[in-house]
Amino acid sequence: MNNDDPFDELMRRSLADEANRVEPTDALPEILNRAHAVRRPVVRRPWVVTAGLAAVGTAAAVGAFTVFNGNLNTANEGDAVAGAPGTTASASGAPDTPRSEPTKAPTQPPTNAKPSTTAVPKTGLREPSADAKTVPVYWLGDAIAGKDAAKASTKPTLSARSTIRLYRTWSKISGRPAFEAVRIMTTQQPNDYDYRSFWKGAQVSSVTQNDGIVTVDFKEFPQTKADEVTAALSAQQLIYTVQGALGAGNHPVQVTYRGRSGVPLFGQIDTSGPLNRAQAADVQALVSIESPTEGMLVTSPITVQGLATAFETTVNYRATNLKSRQVVASTVNTDEGQKSSGFSFPLDLKPGLWQIEAYLVSAEDGSISDLDSKTVEVVR
Amino acid sequence: MVYEECVTHESSWNADEALTAVYTAHYTSLVRLAALLLRDTGTAEEIVQDAFVAMHGRWHRLRDPHKALAYLRTAVVNRTRSRQRHLVVVDKHMPRSLPDEPSAEQAALRTAETDRVIEAMRTLPEKQRTVMVLRYYGDLSEAEIADTMGISRGSVKSHAARASKSLRQVLEQNL
Repeated sequence: MNNDDPFDELMRRSLADEANRVEPTDALPEILNRAHAVRRPVVRRPWVVTAGLAAVGTAAAVGAFTVFNGNLNTANEGDAVAGAPGTTASASGAPDTPRSEPTKAPTQPPTNAKPSTTAVPKTGLREPSADAKTVPVYWLGDAIAGKDAAKASTKPTLSARSTIRLYRTWSKISGRPAFEAVRIMTTQQPNDYDYRSFWKGAQVSSVTQNDGIVTVDFKEFPQTKADEVTAALSAQQLIYTVQGALGAGNHPVQVTYRGRSGVPLFGQIDTSGPLNRAQAADVQALVSIESPTEGMLVTSPITVQGLATAFETTVNYRATNLKSRQVVASTVNTDEGQKSSGFSFPLDLKPGLWQIEAYLVSAEDGSISDLDSKTVEVVR
Repeated sequence: MVYEECVTHESSWNADEALTAVYTAHYTSLVRLAALLLRDTGTAEEIVQDAFVAMHGRWHRLRDPHKALAYLRTAVVNRTRSRQRHLVVVDKHMPRSLPDEPSAEQAALRTAETDRVIEAMRTLPEKQRTVMVLRYYGDLSEAEIADTMGISRGSVKSHAARASKSLRQVLEQNL
């Protein structure tokens, strides 16, 4: 872009002019106070070796195998794919039978244990590799309670945050599905900017299965100190992602840090025992669009696919042309009411940028209670 | 050599020192950036403060004021974008309405030229507006905008091209 262009000059001047009208008041003391409040050490519970953990120990004695999905440099990055693959669009993905591939366990010298953590024996079977597989990866997103958002409360409160839900995207991987899925979840930016993750900075070192428990070991934990609700949902984000990629049975997930359990996750999640999957209705987004994905180029007619847990099966949708403001809106029924099930509707749209929104309307007051949106460009 | 010393010094900062330094250098411009995106100074300040609190928590990972600034910028842009989206959804009758109309007094301080540009910016879709603000106010390169928004450089280019085209059209009409 030419810097001498009068248009560029006009833009720079006008935006600077507009910006300079804003004179924020000093907030440094407040920010420091809040930062320190967030970092206050959490109260630790006494550690208990749970039944699940004991099971891991028993299996270790039987003699088992360890595998590290080691080299981060050679691992597949995983491409985001549009929408759910037709036949595997269930919440848990395609069944994937683990093969037993015994490998010698490298002998690790025992490290000095901190009093509050427990070394988890490095045992367990790795999942089989797949050449090309599509795995679900979960993210956090705001469900948007319309009336709450309208209030625009100045400080996030627990109730405002409790509208955070898990949203699912699909990624193509080659390698070990659960390991790759966790790696995408911890290192990549979700392909929809409305989604986010508090797992940034975490480094997964292995995913192993043993006796009905999946162990996810991290070389680095996420450094984020999340509030209680966000931390709990972030743990569910991991559980859903791992279970979705493994596909078979929703086994509890033991999180370990460099082979040790009991190191608090996000400063507060107790990892001394395996974590269980929460009810989908409590954590999953009540409505989500899985295809098309954000920013996708599509040709009309488009088939929009998604998942919803809708009261009386009704999902509202609306497509808005971002230029002409033309709106196409209607409703569609999900396959089943009151539980998470699929919906799909066709849209015949003229070329241009469109925002597609699927949303649920509150039976109480008619406001939008849950929503997901994707912006797509319709091309000829 | 001077640079090296400087880096060594900065990476030895604790989170409070880093936060104070980055705050002093960039707080105002980040609030202004958020305010340009949202047109609501109160919310802009709140969003930027949240981002600083988050940055403080991860300073031991960032360890570099440049990374900290990039992190803050991304956090602020993320949050303003999701806030904008909510506003669009909540107010379906006036999808482009903005929360904080400037008072008459403030408006009088603006030049007619700025007025026209800001008005024209309001007609842009959110992504295009964000790209334009980052380019012309943030003075970021295409690559930096792509990183900040989490989109490809190609998308930055096409959003910028579309935005420039419609802005030019609107501004010419109004002249």
